[in-house]
Amino acid sequence: MAAMADEVETSLLVIVVDLHTRQRYLRDQPSLLMHVLDSVITLANMHLMLKTKNKVAIVGCNASNSEFLFCDADAIQPQPGQSGQSTAVRQSDGQYEIFAHLETTVKQNIKDFMQDEQSTFFEDKDCESLIAGALTLALCYINRINKEKSAGENLNSRLLILTGCAGGASQHMAYMNVFFTAQKQNIVMDVCSLEYELGLLQQGCDITGGLFLKIPQLQGLLQYLLWVFLPEPPIRKKLVLPPPARVDYRAACFCHRTLIDIGFVCSICLSIFCKFSPICTTCNTVFKPPGSLLPKKKKKQIKNVC
Amino acid sequence: MADEEDGNEYRWETGYEKTWEAIKEDDDGMLEASVAEIIQRAKRKRQAERRPNTRLGMMRHLYIILDSSEAMTDQDLKPTRQLCTAKLLEGFVEEYFDQNPISQMGIIVTRNKRAELVCELAGNGRKHVDIIKQISQGPCAGEPSLQNSLELALSSLRLLPGHASREVLVVMGSLTTCDPHDINVTIQKLKAEGVRCSVIGLAAEVKVCRQLSKETGGLYSVILDDCHFRDLLLQQVEPPPAARTQDCSLVRMGFPHHSNGTESSDASSASSNNPMSFCMCHLDVESKVDSTKLGAAGHLCPQCGSKYCELPVECRACGLTLVSAPHLARSYHHLFPVDNFLEIDAKENQQPRCFGCRRKFVELDKHAYKCGACSQIFCLDCDIFVHDTLHSCPGCTSSAKNH
Ligand SMILES: [Zn+2]
Ligand SMILES: [Zn+2]
Ligand SMILES: [Zn+2]
Ligand SMILES: [Zn+2]
Ligand SMILES: [Zn+2]
Repeated sequence: MAAMADEVETSLLVIVVDLHTRQRYLRDQPSLLMHVLDSVITLANMHLMLKTKNKVAIVGCNASNSEFLFCDADAIQPQPGQSGQSTAVRQSDGQYEIFAHLETTVKQNIKDFMQDEQSTFFEDKDCESLIAGALTLALCYINRINKEKSAGENLNSRLLILTGCAGGASQHMAYMNVFFTAQKQNIVMDVCSLEYELGLLQQGCDITGGLFLKIPQLQGLLQYLLWVFLPEPPIRKKLVLPPPARVDYRAACFCHRTLIDIGFVCSICLSIFCKFSPICTTCNTVFKPPGSLLPKKKKKQIKNVC
Repeated sequence: MADEEDGNEYRWETGYEKTWEAIKEDDDGMLEASVAEIIQRAKRKRQAERRPNTRLGMMRHLYIILDSSEAMTDQDLKPTRQLCTAKLLEGFVEEYFDQNPISQMGIIVTRNKRAELVCELAGNGRKHVDIIKQISQGPCAGEPSLQNSLELALSSLRLLPGHASREVLVVMGSLTTCDPHDINVTIQKLKAEGVRCSVIGLAAEVKVCRQLSKETGGLYSVILDDCHFRDLLLQQVEPPPAARTQDCSLVRMGFPHHSNGTESSDASSASSNNPMSFCMCHLDVESKVDSTKLGAAGHLCPQCGSKYCELPVECRACGLTLVSAPHLARSYHHLFPVDNFLEIDAKENQQPRCFGCRRKFVELDKHAYKCGACSQIFCLDCDIFVHDTLHSCPGCTSSAKNH
C-alpha cells in the first residue's frame, strides 16, 4: 500500500510513420519528407521532455516493409565505469545528448529503410503501406516494455499513426486484430491523416478511444502534433479538440464487399453474405433452407412501440 | 465429439502436475522465473494441440452452474472458495464475451438442495459481472443439487434454435449432490439435446461429474490451485467444436447504423437533427429511465427502426438480431488462426533480437520461435502474445512478400 505514494505515471508513445513513396506529398515534393520527419522527431523529444521516465519508439512502414526506426535497442548505452546510480545525474546534463541521439538514429535508420525499398522496388502501383504490420510490431514492443517496467511504475502506452495514404482493405483482418488487442490492453490509438478520411482507421480510433484528425495542410503539421497529440488522453477531456467523427460500422458482405444493413451470417464461421446461398463459401457448410430459421422461442413482446 | 475428447481430458492436468515436480527439483533461486516459463510452455503446448479449421460452435449459449453450498465457504482458496471463484468468474465473463461476441450466457446458483436462475441467457457481460458480485456477497448454505440445476439449464437451452451451441459449465465445490431422481436420466436427456457439459471441481474427483462430462462431450478437471483454476476457466473461452446435433444455418442479422459518435456518448453530445427518444433496452426498467438514456445517440434496427443503446441485441419489436461488423470480426481469428511457430534451438538462431519486441536474445533463452510463413524469429513472450492475443504474425504482416 505504501507503493501508492511512489507510483509513477509514465507514458510510452509509439509513433508509426508512413514512408510510402507514393504518398502525394512525397511525390509532389520529396523534400517535404524532412519536414514531416523533423516534426515527428520534435514530437518524440517533447514527449521525452515531459517526464524523465517517458519512453518513445518509432516504427516506419512502406509498401514492402515495416521496421523499427527507434526503440530501446537504439538507446545510448551507459558508459563503462558509470554505475546505474549515476544515470540520474546523466539525465540532468544529458538531455540534449539524448535528443540529438534520437534524431541521428532515426535519420540513419530511415536512410537504410528507404534504400531497402529502392532495392525491392514494387511494380504494383496500388500496393498499400503496411501500417497494420507496423502496428503489430508496436504492440509486441509495448507488451514487452510493459512486462519489464519496474514495480510501482504505471505505464500508459499509446499509438500514433501518421499517414498520407488511403485504403487499408487488403490488411483488414490484421487491422481488426490490432484494434481489438489495443482495446483489450487499454492502448489508445490516434491517427493523424495527412490527406484522406480513412474509414478503417477511424473505426480503430473509435474502438480504442483515440482521436482521428485529418490535418488541413501539411505546413502546420508540427502545431497539430503538439496541440492535439502530445497531451495524454486523460488530459484531452479538458482541451478543445476536434469532435469525434461519425464512424460507419455497417458490415461489408464477403461476396461483394458492399455495405449492407441486413445480411445473412453463417452460424459456423460468422461470414456475412448479402443473399441467402445454400453453401458457405468460407467454411463449406451446407445450410438448411431458410424456412427453418425462425427461433422456436418467442420472447415477450413489448407493445405500444411508438 | 465425445469420442474425440476421450483420453485427452487429463493431458493438460498431468502436464501441469509434472511441472510441480520440475519446480521442486529446481531450487537454486531461479524458482520464479522457472514457474513462469513452465506455465508459458504449458500454454504453448495447449496452442499446439488446437486443431485448426474444425467447425466451431460460434453462437454459444452457456449456462454457468455455480455451487453456493456450504462447501464454498472452505478456505483452501483464498480468501474463501466463494470469493475466489467470483473473482475468477468475473475475468472469465469478460474474456468470454470478448472472444465470443454474439454469444449468450446465463447463471444458475445452487444451494439448499435447490437451483435458482439468477441470470437469464443474455449477451451483455456487464450485467453478469454485477450479478456475480452480488452472488459473492450472498449466503452459502446446505447441499447443492446438480440434477435440479441441470434440469433448469436444460429447460431453457432446449428452446433455442437448432444452430445454437448449447453448453453448461459447472463449478462444483461440494463432493456430494442432493438429487431428487436418478441423475443418469438427466444426463441422457442433456446428451440427446446436444448440451455439452463441463465441470470444474474445486475439491476432488466426483464420479457423477466425470460421468456427466464424459457422456455429453465436455471437459472435467479438478483444480490444483487458483492459477490452475484460472487456466481451466480460460480453456472454456475458446468456442468448442460444433456438436453433431447442431444445425448449420444462415442467420439473418441486422447491422444498425452507428447513429452518433462513440457508444458512450451522452445526450448532450447528440446531434440535433436526430429526434430525442428512449432506447428499447431501457423501456421496461422504468426506475432506471433517466435523462442519460433519453437522447439521439443509439443504434437503429434497420428493419423496424427501434432504438438500442447497446449491441449485440435481439430486436424486441421484430426479433432481428442486431450486431456491428467489428463484433463479428472479433471472432474471425478463431477461423483464421496464426499457424504455430516452430521451436528452434537457441544455437540455430542467427538473429540477435526478437523480430517482434526487439528484445535481445540472451543465454537464458534455450529456444527461439520461427514463423513457418515468414521465417522471422521470435522470443517466447512474443510467441505467446501473437497466438493468444494478437492473432496476426508481425513478420507476415510486415513484409509485402507474404501478401
Ligand atoms: Zn454480397
Ligand atoms: Zn461458414
Ligand atoms: Zn427491429
Ligand atoms: Zn519478442
Ligand atoms: Zn510470420
